[in-house]
Amino acid sequence: MTAIAGKLDSKILNGGQKLAVKYFMVAIVLFVAQVAFGLIAGLQYIFPSLFYEMLDFNVNRMVHINAMVVWMLYGFIGAVYWLVEDESGREVVGLKLGNIAFYVLTAAVTVVVIVYLFVQTGPGTHKTLWLINEGREYIEAPRWADIGIVVVILVFFYNISMTFMKGRWSGISGVLVLDLVALAGIYLCGMFFTTNVSIDQYWWWWVIHLWVEATWEVLVGCIMAWGLMKTLGARRKIVTTWLYIEVGLMFGSGILGLGHHYFWIGTPEYWLSIGGFFSALEPIPLVAMVVHAVYDSGVHRFKSTNHPALAWLIAHAFGNFFGAGVWGFMHTLPQINLYTHGTQWSASHGHLAFFGAYATINIAFFYLAMQKWRGNVWMSAGLADNGWKWKWSLGLLNTGVVGMTIALLIAGYEQSFIERAMGGSTWQAYFEGQMHPWYIQAMQWRVVFGIVTVLGVVLLVWDLLTIGRKEARTAAVLESPDTKESFKPSSTGAAAGASAG
Amino acid sequence: MLSPVDLDNFFLAFFSAALVILMGAAYALFFTLAKLNGRRLFMVTAYLSYGLLAVSVLLLAEALNLRGYWHIIVWLMLAGYLLAPHGIWHLCCGTHVAAHETANAGDNGRIPAKTEV
Repeated sequence: MTAIAGKLDSKILNGGQKLAVKYFMVAIVLFVAQVAFGLIAGLQYIFPSLFYEMLDFNVNRMVHINAMVVWMLYGFIGAVYWLVEDESGREVVGLKLGNIAFYVLTAAVTVVVIVYLFVQTGPGTHKTLWLINEGREYIEAPRWADIGIVVVILVFFYNISMTFMKGRWSGISGVLVLDLVALAGIYLCGMFFTTNVSIDQYWWWWVIHLWVEATWEVLVGCIMAWGLMKTLGARRKIVTTWLYIEVGLMFGSGILGLGHHYFWIGTPEYWLSIGGFFSALEPIPLVAMVVHAVYDSGVHRFKSTNHPALAWLIAHAFGNFFGAGVWGFMHTLPQINLYTHGTQWSASHGHLAFFGAYATINIAFFYLAMQKWRGNVWMSAGLADNGWKWKWSLGLLNTGVVGMTIALLIAGYEQSFIERAMGGSTWQAYFEGQMHPWYIQAMQWRVVFGIVTVLGVVLLVWDLLTIGRKEARTAAVLESPDTKESFKPSSTGAAAGASAG
Repeated sequence: MLSPVDLDNFFLAFFSAALVILMGAAYALFFTLAKLNGRRLFMVTAYLSYGLLAVSVLLLAEALNLRGYWHIIVWLMLAGYLLAPHGIWHLCCGTHVAAHETANAGDNGRIPAKTEV
C-alpha cells in the first residue's frame, strides 16, 4: 500500500482504525468494480451483442448491484470500526476475531464474484442455490455465502457491543448496537425459500426495503452524528438528541413505507392504503432536515477540520433529499406506481438515492481515514494544488450520477407511458417501449454520464492515494466543542504552511 | 378502490409530486431563514412556497384520482408540511438552548445569523 500511496503512518491509528482501513480499501476496490460492470451493462443497452454469451447483461447487472451492496456494507463496517475506540474509550474487544472475519468475508466475496463471472448459472437445483446463485434479485449470493455474511455480521456485533459494554456507552453507541441486531436479523429474511412467489417476495422485501430504509439509514445516522462532531465540532448532546429524533421520524414512516413494495406482488389490498399513506409521510423527515441544516449553518461558523469530508457530507444531505425524497415520491403512490414499478424510473430513483444516501457518506469517511493515516495532516482550506482533485472528483461524480438519473428518468417515463399505460404491459408493448427513440437516446446519454462517473471514480481513487502526501501542516483543531470554538492549525509546521506541492 | 392515473394526467402526476417535495423544502428553507434573519421577505416567500405546495398537492390529488379515504393523504400532506418546519424549529431552539444562553438571542426566539457559538 505504501508503495502506491506514499508514506502512511499506521502507528497513529488505533486497533479498530487499522481494521477499518482494510475494510475501506476493499470497499474502494468494489466501488471501482461496481462502476466498471455498470458501464458494461449500460453499453449493452446500446450494443446488445457486446460480450454476448460471454458476459451477458444479467451477469453484469448482478455484479454491478451486488458490488454496490457489498462495498457499502464494507464502508459502514469500516466506519464503525473507525469510531468505536474513540467512542467507547477502550480498545476493540476481540480484534483478532474481527480481523479473521474480515479476511473470511473478503475471501468469500472473491469466491462469489469468481463464481458469478465464470460459472454464472446452474441447473436450478438445490446445488445451484447453495453453491452458485440463490436467484433473489440484489441478494443473489449463494446460501453458503449468506451464512458467512450473517456469521461475519454477528462477529462484528460481538466486537462492537462488547467494546461498548466494557468501555463507556453513549447515545450514539446505544442506537448503533441496537441497529446492528436488526442488521444481522433482517438479513435472515432473505435466506429461506418458499414455493409461493408472493410469500417469497414478501420476505425478500424485508431485506431490501428494511435494510436500506431502516437499518442502513440508522447506521448512517450514527456515523453521520460522529462525523459531524469530528469535522464541524458539533456538540455531542445536540447530535445525540437529533439522532433520536431522526430514528423516531424514520421508523414512524419508513417501516410501514415497506407497503409501497407490496402493491403488486399478490398481497392483500390493504397494503395499497398502508403503503400509500406511509410513503406520503416518508419525505417529511427529509424536509425537516432542511430546517435543521439551515439552522446550523446560520448559527454556527462553517469551519471544518476536513474540507473534502465535509463537502461529501453536504453532498449526502442533498443527495438523500433529492434521490430518496423527490425521486421517490414522484412514483410512490399506487395510482401511478401501477405504471412505473420496475421500469427505468426505479433505476433512476435507485441510482440517485443510493449514491446520495450511502456512497457519499462512505467517501466522506475515506477522507477522514486518509487524513489520520497520513499522520493527521491538514485537510482544511488551502490544500496543495488548491485541492483540485477532490473538487473535480466531487463535481464529476455528482454530475455523472445526476446525469444518469435524468437519462434514466426520461427512459422510465417513456417506458411507463408507452409500454405500461398505452400498451398494457404486453410482450409487444415491452419491445415497442424499448425501441422508441426516446428510450434509445436516453440510454445513450446514460452511458455518456456513466463515463463521467467513471472519470470521477478514477480521480477520487487518485486523490485518496495522494491527498496530504506532501502536507507538512498538522490537522486543524476544533477546540472543546462544548465551550467556545476556535479554529487554527495545531502546533507543528504551521509555518511550513503553504507546504508542499 | 384504486383508480389509476389517466393517460392525459401522466405528466401532471409526476410534475406535481416533484413540486410537492421541492416546495416543501423551499417552504422549510425560507421559513428557517426568516426565523434566523428576521426578514419579512423570507417569511412571505416561505408562505408563497407553501401556497404552491398546497396547489401542487391538490393537482396531485386530482391527477391521481385521490377520492374517498384517499383524501386523508391530501390533508396529511397539507398539515404535515405546514407544521413540520415549525416543530423542527422549536426542536432546534430546544436542543441548542445551552448555546443560545451564551449568545445574543434576538427577539421572539430569532437567532442572529452571525452569532458565534
